[in-house]
Amino acid sequence: MSTLFTEPFFTALVLGALTAGLPLLLAGLGEQISEKAGVLNIGIEGMMLAGAYGGFLVAYHTGSIWLGYLGGALGGMAVATPMAVLCIRLGLSQIVIGMALTLGAEGTTALLHHFQFAQSYPRLPAVATLAIPGLSAIPVIGPALFDRPPIVYLAILAVFLTAYVFRSTHLGLALQAAGDKPEALDAAGVDVVRLRSLAVLATGCLAGVGGAFMAEVGAGIFVPFMTNGAGFIGIVLAMQARGRPFGVLWGALLFGACLSAATALQVAGVSIPTDVVQMLPFVAVLAVLVLLGRKASLPPALGVHYVRGGR
Amino acid sequence: MRNIVRWGVALAVLGMVSFAQAAELKSIAILTPEPGTDYGWNQQGVAAAKAAGAAAGVEVLIADNLGYGDVRPTLRELAQDGAGLLIAHASGYNTAAPEIGAEMKVPVAIVDMPSARKPGAVADYTASGHEGAYLAGRLAAKMSTTGTVGIVVSGEPPSWNAQSSAFAEGARAEKPGITVRYAVIGPAAYSDAAGGKRVTEALIAAGADIIFGQGNGSSFGMLQAVETAKATNGGKVYFIDVIGDKTAIDRGNLLSSVVWNLTPVYSAMIADVRAGTYGSRNYDINLADGSVALLKTAHIPDEVWAQIEALKKDIVDGRIKVTAHYDADTVHKLVTQLPAAP
Repeated sequence: MSTLFTEPFFTALVLGALTAGLPLLLAGLGEQISEKAGVLNIGIEGMMLAGAYGGFLVAYHTGSIWLGYLGGALGGMAVATPMAVLCIRLGLSQIVIGMALTLGAEGTTALLHHFQFAQSYPRLPAVATLAIPGLSAIPVIGPALFDRPPIVYLAILAVFLTAYVFRSTHLGLALQAAGDKPEALDAAGVDVVRLRSLAVLATGCLAGVGGAFMAEVGAGIFVPFMTNGAGFIGIVLAMQARGRPFGVLWGALLFGACLSAATALQVAGVSIPTDVVQMLPFVAVLAVLVLLGRKASLPPALGVHYVRGGR
Repeated sequence: MRNIVRWGVALAVLGMVSFAQAAELKSIAILTPEPGTDYGWNQQGVAAAKAAGAAAGVEVLIADNLGYGDVRPTLRELAQDGAGLLIAHASGYNTAAPEIGAEMKVPVAIVDMPSARKPGAVADYTASGHEGAYLAGRLAAKMSTTGTVGIVVSGEPPSWNAQSSAFAEGARAEKPGITVRYAVIGPAAYSDAAGGKRVTEALIAAGADIIFGQGNGSSFGMLQAVETAKATNGGKVYFIDVIGDKTAIDRGNLLSSVVWNLTPVYSAMIADVRAGTYGSRNYDINLADGSVALLKTAHIPDEVWAQIEALKKDIVDGRIKVTAHYDADTVHKLVTQLPAAP
């Protein structure tokens, strides 16, 4: 047993937590933007999957990991666009359309994969990392947290940026108003439909990049259905964070840490049924939701179609 | 009394029609959750169905890449299209398939539920390559340079449990002091390629230099991990796959695979449907008839392969008995009870 708990093993666990948590962070941040604006974006799983496919496709054909992220963002936005048109402009059910988009993205990406990659299963090479001088030399956590692909640092920066936008900008106030009292925002001269549409597209962009990260960095390959419900976890994280981007960050890291803890318990041969071990991440998120989410106040206009002059 | 006689005659005629239909089997169908080109479980199912269908002269309807959701509409469509046998090639389908089979009066084949067998209606083919997995364990122990081997699975279905336990037993039989690490990616994480890579990297960091991986789409993540990581002693990490042969996409890390051939299983099913005896038994695969085999790759030295061949003969001849343990608890006990590496 003692030979197991080595520095490389702990580093792998911390790295695993970060790698598993980052797509959830991006998806959760995206969902938070939609919900802030009053749109319950159930289609985020499909956006992640489209992003994973788009990201892998572009990265594989261009050899550029950055163009891959761009492809992922476009893939996510491609799924977000019908959400914006059908739900925000035409007023169809956000839940029904969100589920339909997820199913559609699953089928479409699986079909595209079948025609393009199903015989060759190409893999991407290991992604280059950027070591932060000094910090990357810290034992265990240094290589895992401070010698990562640059997209990881940008994702963390996105948390700060989103928090700043929510708290200190007119755009943040407008998003809040679109979810709380859209008619007041309309009266103030802001186009609610346009703002909500942009919020949904931003969600698609972030979720798409999250999916692209999963395919390019997390797996190095795209396979059908590979998001495996990560988008839905992102929705839960956004809700338990009560509109706070840092809440999404902590939730995503907690989920990733629990996944790594579950792996560690199994590798160590701890005699606990696998099902119990595997429940750990979900139980942890549920516990956080129960403990911290009690004061959660969802935007009053969340999921409600806005029609100027409508009641 | 007259009505009773009429009903009796009607039922007898229906019974005769049913047997007649069985004898006139013209097409079968297979449903798979992922693409039939995954070099694994799904591809093996589709390829075997095609081969068995061609040999028996029946048309094979293929519905692949269906995902893990509700396949009832697809099952109905295939039955309406004339399929006389529905092969539901995923454990996640073993509730829907018998239900629709009964509704459409078409026999169905399912996996991971042997107790569901029902004469004329349902048969199970919880195939297990445990004998091949035992050989894979012996091979892994012979080839490991760190003294630690790993098992990564994307779920704990019975057939994989049988192979995991046999692999661990094989490794221990070869080197009693070897350490076997075991981890499940997640609950039914069959397509979680990122999870496969993450967990495999953790096992490699824990000392494993040979990974026995069981997963559908997730196995590509495992493969990616062994291709991009170094063993703790700086050496190369190898991968042992199951069911399919990934040689065509190997980048130098595929050591072997416990290859399945389900063609004899599906051929037997077709024969049983035609004979009207379907559902009277379940189906399995084994080393003796070649439906299970260990893949020889260029990474296995000839002298090691000769030893593996000798062990295979011992199994076929009954000198080595490999028991299939289908429950996860036995796998966990086997793995945790293995002595630590010296």
